[in-house]
Amino acid sequence: MTGAALQLRLLWQRNAGLYGLYLLLIALLAVYAWLHPGLLSVAGVARFTQNWFPIAVVALAQTLIMLMGGIDLAIGATVSLGCVLAASWIGDSYGGAALGIALAVGVGAVIGGTVGAIVALLRIPAIVVTLAASFIIGGIALLVMPRPGGHVPAWLSDGLAGETPTALVLLLCLLVAWRILQATPLGQDINAAGNNPHGAFRSGVNVARARIVAYAISGALSAFAGVYVAAQTGSGDPIIGGPFILDSITAAVLGGVGFLGGIGAFRGAIAGSLLLAVMINVMFFLGFPPVAQYIAKGLIIVVAMGLRLLRER
Amino acid sequence: MLASLKRLPGASWLIHPVTLVYLVVIAIWITAGIMKPGFARIGHLRYLLELAAVIGIAAAGQTLVIIAAGIDLSVAAVITFAAILTPIVSVGWDPTGLLGILFVLAITTAIGAVNGVGVVLLRVHPLIITLATATILQGSLLLIAGGSAVSTTNPAVVWLGNERLWGFPVTILTWLVVAAATLVVLHRTVLGGWLYAIGTNPRASRLAGVNAPLTLITVYAISGASAGLAGLLLLGMNRQGYVGIGEPYLLGTIAAVVVGGTSILGGRGSYLGTIAGAILLVTLTALITVVNASPGLRMILFGGLVLAMLLIAGRVQETR
Repeated sequence: MTGAALQLRLLWQRNAGLYGLYLLLIALLAVYAWLHPGLLSVAGVARFTQNWFPIAVVALAQTLIMLMGGIDLAIGATVSLGCVLAASWIGDSYGGAALGIALAVGVGAVIGGTVGAIVALLRIPAIVVTLAASFIIGGIALLVMPRPGGHVPAWLSDGLAGETPTALVLLLCLLVAWRILQATPLGQDINAAGNNPHGAFRSGVNVARARIVAYAISGALSAFAGVYVAAQTGSGDPIIGGPFILDSITAAVLGGVGFLGGIGAFRGAIAGSLLLAVMINVMFFLGFPPVAQYIAKGLIIVVAMGLRLLRER
Repeated sequence: MLASLKRLPGASWLIHPVTLVYLVVIAIWITAGIMKPGFARIGHLRYLLELAAVIGIAAAGQTLVIIAAGIDLSVAAVITFAAILTPIVSVGWDPTGLLGILFVLAITTAIGAVNGVGVVLLRVHPLIITLATATILQGSLLLIAGGSAVSTTNPAVVWLGNERLWGFPVTILTWLVVAAATLVVLHRTVLGGWLYAIGTNPRASRLAGVNAPLTLITVYAISGASAGLAGLLLLGMNRQGYVGIGEPYLLGTIAAVVVGGTSILGGRGSYLGTIAGAILLVTLTALITVVNASPGLRMILFGGLVLAMLLIAGRVQETR
C-alpha cells in the first residue's frame, strides 16, 4: 500500500512542471472534439494520430539530441531523404516493403551516426555540423529524386495511414522501446552523458559512444518519420521535410526539454508534439489559411517561453 | 617549427589563423589561375568579391551576434524578406528609390530588434527565437507575394547591385564601408568590448556593469539590418526577388564566421577573420560550380565544403 502511494508521489513529482501543458492539451482536445465530433471514433482517432505521428517521431529524435546538449538542424533533410528512399525502394510484396523500410531507416541511422561521430569525436559544435549536414542530406535526397515521384504500394498506405489507428500502435511501440533503452546500460550512458558529460566521463562512461548512438537513433527515427510521410502521401518528395526542423524543436521545447542537456523526457516530447498537432488541426478546422500555421507555429514557442518565465518568477 | 616561429617577436600574426585563411585564399587563387587561366582574370576575381560582399555583409551582424555567444538563424529569411519586400514597397513617385530602401532597412532592423527583445526579455534561447522569426517571416512572405518572383526597377537598388564607382563595383565599396564600421564597433567602442565580455562570461559581465540587455538588442538589430542590406544587394544583382533567394546564406554566414576563427561559443574572434572566411567560401564554391553539377550535387558539394572547412578551422577545445 505504502509502496503504491510512494509510486504515485514519484509519478506526481516527475511530471511537475508539465501539468499546465497537460491541462492545456485536454482543453484543446475537448475543443477539437466539440468542433469535430467525428474525432471520437476509431477512424477519427486514426486520422488524427496520422497527422500527429510524424511530428511526434521527429520531436523524439530532437529530444534525444537535446538531452545530449546538442541540437539537430538536419532532421528536416533526413525526413526528406527517408521519404524519397521509401518511395523508390519499397517493393510491392510484403517482403519487399519490409526490406525497403528497413533500408531507409538504416540509411538514416548511418547518416545520424556519422553526424554524431563528427560532433563527438572531432569536437565541432552540433549546430554547425548539423546545418552543414542538412545541405548534404538534402542534396542526396534531391539526387535520389530530383522532383516528387515514386510510389508506395496502396496496401501499405492503407495499413499505415488508413482507417486503422496503426500510428497509435506504433507510438506505443516507440514508448516501449524507449523504456527498454532507458533500462539498458547504453540508455543510462546516454542520460548520464547528457546530464553531466564531465562527470559521466570521469565515472567511466564512454561519452563519445553514447553521443554517437543517440545521433544514430535520432537519424533512424527521422528517416522513419519520412517513410511514414511517404506512406501518407503515397509518393516521395525531396523537400517535404523542411517544416519538421522547427516543429521538432518547438515540440521538444513545449514539452519542457531543456537546451543545456539532461532535462526532459519522452512524455514531454509526446505532449509537446500533441499540442502542436491539435493546434494545427483546430486551425485547419476553423478555416485558417495554411499560411497562418507558419505564423502560429512561430508565435506559440515565444508564448510558451514567456509563460515559463512568468511561472519561474 | 610553428612554436619557434611563435617566439619570434612580432611574428605571431604570421601564424595567426586569420592570416592563414588569407594565405589559403591567395594560394587557391594562384593555383586555380595557373590550372584554369580564366579564373585569375581580374574580372572574375572582382565578380567573386562581389559575391563575397553579400555573404560578408550579412555575416557582419552574425559575427557580432556570435561573439556575444548568440546565433541568428533568421538571416536567410530576412534576406529573402528584404529581396521580395523592396520591389513591392518601392513607390513610383519616388524617383530615387531611396525611400523604399530606407523603409525595408528599418523593417529588417526592427525584426532583428524583436529577436533581441525575445532573447533579453523572454529569455528565449537565440536559436529558438530566431528560428521562430524565420518561420513567421516565411509565412508572411507567402501572404505578401504569394510565392511568385518579383522584379525590381528601383533605381537605387539597381545602382547598388550593378554600378561602378571609380572603377570599383558599388557592392564591394558597400562591403568596405560595412567592414570598416563593424571593425570600429568591435574594437574601438564600448559596445564592442561589452560584446566580448558577454560572450566570455555573461554573469561576470553583468557584475562588471555591462548593460547586457541594451547590448544584445542592439547586436540583433544590427544583424537584422546587415541581413536586410545583403538582401538589397542580392536583389540589385539579380534584379529579381523570389522565395528561397536567401536560402544558402544562413549556412554561408555561419560558416564564414566560424572559418574566420570566431568561436561559435562566443567571446573570441574578429570580423577580419569573417571577411577572409567569406572570400574563401565564395572561392571554393566557384571552384565546385566549374564542375557542371545538378542542384542536388551542388548542395552536397556546398555542405561538404563547409564541413571540411569546419574540420580544419572550427574545432572547439573540450575540457575534460
